[in-house]
Amino acid sequence: MEQRRKILVIDDEEVVLDSCTQVLSSPNCTVLTAGNGEKGLRLVDEANPDLVFLDLKMPGLSGMDVLERIRAKYPLMVVIVITGYATVSSAVEAMKKGAFDFLPKPFSPEELRLITKRGLEHCDLVRQTAALRREKELLRENFAAIVSHELKSPLAAIQQNLYALAAELEDKLTDPQKELFARLKSRLDDLLKLVNMWHRVLSVDPAKLKETFKPVSVHAVISKAVETVRAHAVRKNVQIQTELAPELPPAYGDESSLVEVLVNILNNAVKYSYPNGTVTVRAVRLDNLLAVSVIDQGVGIPKEDLPFIMQDFGRARHQPEGVTGTGIGLTVSRRIVEAHGGSITVESELGKGSTFTIRLPIALATPGAAS
Amino acid sequence: MSERKRLLIIDDDPEFVAGIKAILTRAKYEVDTAYNPKDGWAALKSKDYDLLLLDIMMGRGAEGVMIARKLNKDPKLRNLPVLIITGIREQIAFLFPGQAVHPHFVPVDELVEKPVEPKLLLEKVESLLKAAEERKAKAK
Repeated sequence: MEQRRKILVIDDEEVVLDSCTQVLSSPNCTVLTAGNGEKGLRLVDEANPDLVFLDLKMPGLSGMDVLERIRAKYPLMVVIVITGYATVSSAVEAMKKGAFDFLPKPFSPEELRLITKRGLEHCDLVRQTAALRREKELLRENFAAIVSHELKSPLAAIQQNLYALAAELEDKLTDPQKELFARLKSRLDDLLKLVNMWHRVLSVDPAKLKETFKPVSVHAVISKAVETVRAHAVRKNVQIQTELAPELPPAYGDESSLVEVLVNILNNAVKYSYPNGTVTVRAVRLDNLLAVSVIDQGVGIPKEDLPFIMQDFGRARHQPEGVTGTGIGLTVSRRIVEAHGGSITVESELGKGSTFTIRLPIALATPGAAS
Repeated sequence: MSERKRLLIIDDDPEFVAGIKAILTRAKYEVDTAYNPKDGWAALKSKDYDLLLLDIMMGRGAEGVMIARKLNKDPKLRNLPVLIITGIREQIAFLFPGQAVHPHFVPVDELVEKPVEPKLLLEKVESLLKAAEERKAKAK
């Protein structure tokens, strides 16, 4: 399928414009002409040509300037420079600035046709490459969503049918049978949660997260996180107390992601606490950083495990009895905090407890929010 | 006014639908099913339903959203209560970047995640039906 081509010729010599138009015009190819750089740039914007011929030596805006502006705005556009004075050095300079090729004046129609053909082929390649790259990027972004949907669908169907079955058999099942149902449900729930978390890890894109950054109140983040974890803490009979410096400057980030981080860390603190223990959330300012620490008096982490727990899906090898987990929570947390330009560190003593500290940059007084 | 309420489920996962349908049938609802958006739309146009249970992630992408958009434009169907059933909450956010997690596709809708516990499902269905009836009564 032949597509209609658009070629733009920018040259101050009328005769060049005319001859190019005559040689290159065809039912499949429109030739646009501009007698100076300004008009040329305007036509580039308006017509989005497949190929641009550009004279280097023009009065007013020079060819080199036009080339730079085109390349800055349309890095994929194929530009061939026409060099009137047959100096190799200016052609080389233009190629360094991104021109695809050069055509020395005077040129024959045959030379023009040949270089045009090559230029258009290059244009197609460049566009195909860009399209493929875009597709790859889209696939990477959506991969996690697609796979987790595929994984979750059968699990959800199983769970839903179990629910239906349990409801139908409600008055016929013995207690031990009901217990079996409960166990099935709970393991399926775990699996569903795992898929959700895994999806979360793969879909935290630091660059995208940054687009939503704005000043965030640390007090709000902490109170939301504590509220979320409270039920878990009450079940384990663990107290959560907060020690917040009275006037903390806002952090610069995404509130819900930061709440998620703190919820993950607080949940861990509660999980590894002894019953009747206390978990403390402390927030202070250190120069240009905010430090939020979560301090528990729980089982602690053995020294040899410490280097691993912050790694992707890392988890201390020594787990207290009855504690389950995947290590995904900390991985997600670390990625989120790093996307904020911050860090998470951990100190721990076996049997005494652990302290996780999140350091975040402070929102500057005049954040460059508007653009 | 105790005639049985008629519900339609549009979801491309027959096994999941079976689980939902059993729960709803047990609760004395009359339940029709459609396993793709096209059949679903045809059913909506040919019969009167009191409530629609709609899956979002159907086929290649969010075809459920298309149904929701069509409903919204249809003067007769735009008041039909819709309970949206979705696999993954984030997916909604990813389909509608920059919007709240629960975009209101249609004037009256609620959202539950798959799988949904029978109690929650029946509560949502009941409250949507009740709200719809109250609206109808007020309109008269």
